[in-house]
Amino acid sequence: MRPHAMTPATVPTRKAFSERMAEYGAIDGDFVVFEADIGYSTFSHLFGDQYPERYFNMGIAEGNMVSAAAGMAADGRTVVASSYGVFLTMRALESVRTFVCYPDLNVKFLSSHGGFTPAIDGVTHQATEDIANMTTLPNMKVLVPADTWSSRKLFDVTLQTPGPVFVRLMRDPILDLYEAGDSFVMGGSHVLIEGTDVTIATYGDIVFEAIEAATILAKDGIRAEVIDLYSVKPFDRETLVRSLRKTGALVVAENHQKRNGLGYELSNFCLKNHVVPFDNLGLEDTFTESGSYPKLLDKYGLSKHHIAESAKRILGRN
Amino acid sequence: MDMIYKAKSGHPGGALSAADIVTALYFDILRLDPGNPRWPERDRFLLSKGHACPVLYACLAMRGYFGFEHLDTLRQFGSILQGHPIRKTPGIDMTTGSLGHGLSIGLGMALDGKLRKKDYRVYVMLGDGETNEGHIWEAAMAAAKYKTDNLIAIVDRNRLQMDGCCDEVMPMGNIAAKFRAFGWKTFEIDGHNVAEILRTIEKARKVRGKPSCIVARTVKGKGVSYMEDRFEWHGKCPDIDQLTCAMKEIWGEDS
Repeated sequence: MRPHAMTPATVPTRKAFSERMAEYGAIDGDFVVFEADIGYSTFSHLFGDQYPERYFNMGIAEGNMVSAAAGMAADGRTVVASSYGVFLTMRALESVRTFVCYPDLNVKFLSSHGGFTPAIDGVTHQATEDIANMTTLPNMKVLVPADTWSSRKLFDVTLQTPGPVFVRLMRDPILDLYEAGDSFVMGGSHVLIEGTDVTIATYGDIVFEAIEAATILAKDGIRAEVIDLYSVKPFDRETLVRSLRKTGALVVAENHQKRNGLGYELSNFCLKNHVVPFDNLGLEDTFTESGSYPKLLDKYGLSKHHIAESAKRILGRN
Repeated sequence: MDMIYKAKSGHPGGALSAADIVTALYFDILRLDPGNPRWPERDRFLLSKGHACPVLYACLAMRGYFGFEHLDTLRQFGSILQGHPIRKTPGIDMTTGSLGHGLSIGLGMALDGKLRKKDYRVYVMLGDGETNEGHIWEAAMAAAKYKTDNLIAIVDRNRLQMDGCCDEVMPMGNIAAKFRAFGWKTFEIDGHNVAEILRTIEKARKVRGKPSCIVARTVKGKGVSYMEDRFEWHGKCPDIDQLTCAMKEIWGEDS
């Protein structure tokens, strides 16, 4: 078990990321931020308040925002484009693909309201296909911090990594588990709980359900290893394989459509490289609905109980 | 025409309607250094109607960005001249061709120039059919907001788009008036009168506090009798007889 105790988070990852972005404005005087009229929700305004000349509110027009960000980045400048995931990865998808990823420009995506973390907002504002869309694009890298410190650290990784980077953030605070001394790198991961019987790989908000699932499993004598694959693309193959050699079983849980999410990616990887009993949890070809976040976790099969049940099932222990 | 014939595909109509304007830009207007394609002080040019790229590639070759032999490789495997312009080709400032995005990209470049306190200008050539895209108008409002007077859009108003006449496919009415309503300075010219093109761009360069849009009346397929004003020639390759005829009409009987 990690030495760090989990405590209730005081800020959501969207705010932690933006707070670090505002601080980073003094470290890197060249990057600019584009926003699509939700700066007080993404908290990108924290940067704009300090650097108004480097903050461009492009209005409710995400497609233009991303293509203009590409134009601004064409001579090497870094641009952070901020909005909700559902708009950045859908409405602006062609701009992201053809004008950011294809020319491999330094445009970074501050993508709030990932998965169904904006649960009460309903499906129109939930981004439950964002990982599929973004991981499919050549040159794009995808990061998902789970808490405050990982958000802050991954902001730095985002700015320091050349080319496009997509960062999925959450609407509401959940828990904090990382500390200032924890390190985060592109392609990295953290083994949060060490175990020998089953590997649970996850990212973002579901990290916390996975940790609790491990506690449930421990009561049945099953020792689960929980990995936070905060770098979804590229993912940490080395850590995953090391874990699977030990446990020989894998459950992937994510706040996303099952189809073309991390579960699909890892099942493909395992089929080619390391075949193990496998299950993945996510949205089963369905949209969700408005409701509290815990209610949606429960109804759509992503609660700690579902993860524990899935682990038992593939181990033949249910 | 020769390039499109050799490639066996391409878009002759819109390349010919844009030819006088693109040529004027590359030989009289743009501040460029062909020996240093990424020269930071250069003027930027975006062919947002990227399907017209044969005329752009011809201009780039004539200005010395790459050898003429590349023109024969248009659209072929391994060529530096892709079916639509890409940023890797020497002299191309940005990938374009998916319609509707060029003005947004130009806006970003113009904002970058302002922030860097550079005096380069960004020219974006749009098709009139392309202005159907809502994206164009998102860029139009943002450019006016940010007073990007270093951004000049030129609309190739040839009145034809892929499926037919613009007024039938999607009537845009008075495009200049629309840009004016969005806060732009506008000009309307004959897009085949080189003196008028040069004079008007010079005026647009002097505009302060707002972006400029030049709506240039043109003829699709200009200079080739059987192509002029025929939407069928938007994306059609000529056969050898048609090519010979076109070359004679463009260059004269001695070609």
